Amino acid sequence: MNRALLPEMLHCMNNNSAPGNFAGNCTDMTVLERQRDRMKWQHDQIHQQQNQNLNQNQQSYFSGSELISEVFSSATHQAADVQGGFQGLVLGCESMLDGQTVTTRSVKPDPGLENGWPELGKCTEMPNLGCGSLVNGNHGFQMNNSAISRTASCPPAVPAANTTDIKAKEAVLHEKLSSAAGKDSFKKRKADKIPNTKVGVEDDTKEKRIKGNAEEGESKITEQNSTKNNNSNNRESSADTSKENSKANSEVQKPDYIHVRARRGQATDSHSLAERVRREKISERMKYLQDLVPGCNKITSKAGMLDEIINYVQSLQRQVEFLSMKLAAVNPRLDFNNDDLFAKEMFPACSAGFQPIGMSSEMTNSAYLQFNPSQQLVSCCGMEVGANNNSPDLGLRRTISAPVSIPELFLDTSCFTQLQPPATWDTELQNLFNVEFHQGRSTPFPSQPFAGPIEASNLKMEM
Amino acid sequence: MQSFSSLKQEFLKNWIKGLQICGSSKKKMDLMEKKDAIKFSADLAMASARKSKTCWSRAIIAKATEPNNTNKSLAEQILGPDEREKMLQKTSWKQSVAAATRCYSSCSWLVRSKKIVKRSRRNVRRALMRRNNGARTVVMADSIAKRLVEKRTKKLKSLVPGGEFIMDEVSLIEETLDYLVALRAQVDVMRLSYTCAAGLVNGK
Repeated sequence: MNRALLPEMLHCMNNNSAPGNFAGNCTDMTVLERQRDRMKWQHDQIHQQQNQNLNQNQQSYFSGSELISEVFSSATHQAADVQGGFQGLVLGCESMLDGQTVTTRSVKPDPGLENGWPELGKCTEMPNLGCGSLVNGNHGFQMNNSAISRTASCPPAVPAANTTDIKAKEAVLHEKLSSAAGKDSFKKRKADKIPNTKVGVEDDTKEKRIKGNAEEGESKITEQNSTKNNNSNNRESSADTSKENSKANSEVQKPDYIHVRARRGQATDSHSLAERVRREKISERMKYLQDLVPGCNKITSKAGMLDEIINYVQSLQRQVEFLSMKLAAVNPRLDFNNDDLFAKEMFPACSAGFQPIGMSSEMTNSAYLQFNPSQQLVSCCGMEVGANNNSPDLGLRRTISAPVSIPELFLDTSCFTQLQPPATWDTELQNLFNVEFHQGRSTPFPSQPFAGPIEASNLKMEM
Repeated sequence: MQSFSSLKQEFLKNWIKGLQICGSSKKKMDLMEKKDAIKFSADLAMASARKSKTCWSRAIIAKATEPNNTNKSLAEQILGPDEREKMLQKTSWKQSVAAATRCYSSCSWLVRSKKIVKRSRRNVRRALMRRNNGARTVVMADSIAKRLVEKRTKKLKSLVPGGEFIMDEVSLIEETLDYLVALRAQVDVMRLSYTCAAGLVNGK
């Protein structure tokens, strides 16, 4: 036990000597004070069993400077109590959750303190006020607090090293309970946006808390460093398992509340938080839209994205108009019975992945992609016409895939110079007419890539 | 949300039904009328395929079943009896929309006050610009970006059916997403059916 505790104690000392930490720990006074009171109360009973050798050991270790020793006297005091204190923590957490005292242990906690815990958990403003008054307390207290939190923050180290002790085994059980329970209570309080939860049952929770609280920006860096140290210490003492458990717990409990993070310097009042949530939502939806709209990936500005979306919607609407026009032109009468039945037959086949068609479309698409960076669009069309000669199915498929892909490629290659909706429209037209041409008479245009578009435009004029 | 292919199938089914009804109603049509009928039925089919879950589909249906619309009877036929009671619900929505528009147009003081606010803002901006050069660029860039986004949002609202009544930007973007998916399905199906029809015609 001592061996495991010593690095922690050393670490606490270092941490206390760091001046930036004073301010950081102020907010946690109330919780830790109550904790400390209870620890002291319990101290008398457990102390007799364990305290002597521990005190000796640690005092021999730490007997350096006066201030530190002053801090340390209480720190060792607390450290001796780690086990008892930890059990007290267990009880505190459990009582917070269940609202009843747990009597599994021989030492019963102070009922007044027991009542104090849920209060702390529930009220949001009260602890802050209490902090404000208690900040003015002596420095030793603050140091003590950090010491307590550090020692209490690495509970796995205690029982893991102390397996010989029977009580320690009991503590292991309690600790496992408490890692879950403490997590729970922590989450609750966090959901209430209380910034002062320095119960510090686990390192993970502490880190999260640090990130969650923008107010404690000053002590952020030092504390994070210290928690990192703590983590490494914990790993050295091979007590990661319970931590992992608690991590899993936290992952399960995540969706209970909306996680809003405020970085340093960001406002934390409810209005700006809501605004931030709204903006995040919008950007998330925008990301979906980016996936949906071709050629929208590279645009980062919101206005540009909206532009792209507008263009796309407009082009799709025009396509609908145009297609209905063409359908009206093709069909002598309005009832499409034959054709549509045919289409209906055709349709599931297409959607289910009709093999030859799917294959050919893939082929053409890949060819398209290959030619895309270097070649002009028109030549690509020519290539497609050439490729389409193989089978009419391919041509059929081409019409589906081409017009969607062409405008985007067009967009990419010719940087918005000729890129107006009419332009894309024309390419579409050409493409469609290519296919129609091709289907009408199966004579291919093998050698003239430009023949297709030109003839298509002629056709368009006629129409 | 339905998957893309099921949406397409649903659309195709509705569309065929609508086209049959349209074709049986009138025998003689010129090209533009035919085109309008096809587009109308396609839009309605799209909207009913989306099952009036979204704002845009409701707006399309409401627009089609407006009393002054010439195709009202057609729309009611296409939508069928099961849609009719839904439409009854929708009439309340429509009424609310109409009330909102009426309110908006009648409340000219709102427009006026908006104009006043805008003008005063412009003045403030000008004053800011005059005051210091350093902040000017920031303010200018900020306001320009905001104006750009506002303009585009307005345009998007006009493009998406029923978008004028969406005040929230988040829901507007969601609507746009949904509408885009539906439009793509519509275009795909129409193109496919066109190629089939063209192939049949040419094959004959």
